[in-house]
Amino acid sequence: MAHTARLDRATAATLVAALLMPAAVALIFFYVPSDVDQGYSQRIFYLHVQIALTTYTIFGGGAVNAARYLWTGREELDLQSYVPMHLGVIFGSLTLITGSIWAHISWGTWWDWGSRELNTFLIIFLFYCAYFMLRFSVEPGERRARYSAVYALLGVGLIPLSVLAVRIAQDALHPIVFRSNGVNMDGSMFLTFLVALAAMLSLAVSMYLVEMRGKRVDERMAQLRRLARGAA
Amino acid sequence: MNGRAVRALIRKDVLVELRGREVVPSMAVFVGAAFVLFRFGLGGTELAGGTRAATGMLWVAIVFTALVGLSRAFAHEREGRTWDGLLAAPVDRALFWFARTCSTFLFLVAVQVLALPAFWLFFLQEQAGPSYPVLVAAVLLADVGIACLGSLLAGLASSVRAREVLLPALYLPFSIPLVLTAVRVTTDTIPPQTSGLETLERLGFLALYDTVFALLGWALFEYVVED
Repeated sequence: MAHTARLDRATAATLVAALLMPAAVALIFFYVPSDVDQGYSQRIFYLHVQIALTTYTIFGGGAVNAARYLWTGREELDLQSYVPMHLGVIFGSLTLITGSIWAHISWGTWWDWGSRELNTFLIIFLFYCAYFMLRFSVEPGERRARYSAVYALLGVGLIPLSVLAVRIAQDALHPIVFRSNGVNMDGSMFLTFLVALAAMLSLAVSMYLVEMRGKRVDERMAQLRRLARGAA
Repeated sequence: MNGRAVRALIRKDVLVELRGREVVPSMAVFVGAAFVLFRFGLGGTELAGGTRAATGMLWVAIVFTALVGLSRAFAHEREGRTWDGLLAAPVDRALFWFARTCSTFLFLVAVQVLALPAFWLFFLQEQAGPSYPVLVAAVLLADVGIACLGSLLAGLASSVRAREVLLPALYLPFSIPLVLTAVRVTTDTIPPQTSGLETLERLGFLALYDTVFALLGWALFEYVVED
């Protein structure tokens, strides 16, 4: 039988990410002009902000799937909620690390307790860690899926409240790039910003699809093992 | 809402506490000991950071004391296996959460009736402290938020292994926005710095926090007890 190669979604997303990431890196290091105030090192902005926005997007996806799981009880939605949370820890850690480096470059300190974004992300990161503690404290099955979904949905309340709390409790230090009256960047900076964002989002999508595929293979292997044990 | 069922559930929690005296005395001893530790931690005779630092410590003590109480929430239901009976009752499961929230709020207030005068005695009598009406309003608003969210998380942790260590890990990330705002709203009323509009804005935030977690607790609790 002739085998026809078919481009699956995970491979397609990985290819898109593989094209966009070098393009974004090239734009960041060779195209975009240096910032007037912060100089060359400000280029970390194009990684840090993109990773932060990707973390929020990933969490949004995980929370939507958690709500859908509670609504429908479909088993695969648990995995589709868990995998974004797992990626959220990775992207959240990267946000904290790149933010810390940027804080050191801009303000001369590795951590600034007056920075809105850094502190909001610290809360979100702790939330993600607690999600994993809960998930791995419950035996795999329907109850674990339900508890994980409930906790993930509580995050929907926590994240906007954390943003708001940090905003109203602390003094502004973090640079404000997006204002209500428009974007505070020139054309080349905005183009780099958008390409870097597309690259980071496509990387997250490809990681999601690859991890989902791995988890499904794991599940099938576990089923096969159970069947083999039953037959023996 | 089934008022009779809620009253009966709250009465059950209060009666169990009055007979067993497990939660409120433990919380009261904990908060008292915490104040003594904080007093020595802040330098003993000379209060390092003044009443501003002490007020920040008060909020940390409130959150940790609440955790001591919440760790026993649903303990009787679990240990005495009363869940089966409760779940057989023809009432909305969200009412279990609501009743537990009300009883947790009552226990928190009962402890704070003792703790706040102790706080004044240990920290505030020597120097100017925060505005008492603002402090009381912030504590009551924080209690509502802690009770709403804490009851849900206590339900979640109650049937999980390592529940004693899990509950603080689940709860503490959620307490950060609450403590952040509560500390600012109370310390900003310590003279000479006073800010009327900002105080209202921050108290409003605490009310928003309560509303968000009340809605989420109400909506999600039925998934916590669906066994």
